[in-house]
Amino acid sequence: MMDEGSEGTFVLMSEPQHLARLREWLRGEFTRLNVEHHEQFGLQVAVGEICSNSIRHAYAGLGGKPIHVSVRGSDDRLVIEVRDFGKKFDPQSYRPPDLEAVVEGGIGLHLVRQFVDELSYDVTQEQGTRWTLVKHRRRG
Amino acid sequence: MDIQITPSRGATVVAVTGDLDTASARQMKQTLNDLLDQGKTRIVVDLFGVGYIDSAGLGELVRAMKRARKGAGDLRVCALRGNVLRIFELTRLNEGMGVYPTCREALAGWE
Repeated sequence: MMDEGSEGTFVLMSEPQHLARLREWLRGEFTRLNVEHHEQFGLQVAVGEICSNSIRHAYAGLGGKPIHVSVRGSDDRLVIEVRDFGKKFDPQSYRPPDLEAVVEGGIGLHLVRQFVDELSYDVTQEQGTRWTLVKHRRRG
Repeated sequence: MDIQITPSRGATVVAVTGDLDTASARQMKQTLNDLLDQGKTRIVVDLFGVGYIDSAGLGELVRAMKRARKGAGDLRVCALRGNVLRIFELTRLNEGMGVYPTCREALAGWE
């Protein structure tokens, strides 16, 4: 039985060069929470894409802005939250990519969806967007 | 991320080591644009040394591939390891891009 209250948090500053440290931290958290090794890579990609979106869109490429990443796990699911404090995500501006056309952009959220079971966002706070990524865990 | 450029007969091999992510995508873009600006439109990107790639890294490869094709060349990738190959498959880039198991096979026909 795992304690869902056991939560790790990482504060990423909004420069892309910090993403490698985030991935290193995530690897540690996933190991702590017994996430299967073959699932760790995809989850790192998913969280990295959300954070890259925050850097590029919420903060328009400005450095020095915080992005909070938290991970918590229970027996049946892993929950990852990414919170920025910049411009809110606008679903109207998002168009799913046409993968048959071999596109060079817009595939970040597509990749996120490949690696998580649930993806949601909350823009009801005064500032920014809170993304929630959920990965179901197999009971074994 | 480290990039090693090796001229080969009929093509240029760009060997990448490290993470090809949002942070290093700009370096990749610059390298590929420099080659294309020099008229080197046959490019093989060796990804054997890459263990992590994200949408920004993929985007630069696709952008350069399109530019190379406009110049009657191509950008091919080779030696993708498990997780990186999986990303190509999930984005279906393995269908729209020349993806080869080895550099030798990627260079075939250009040498």
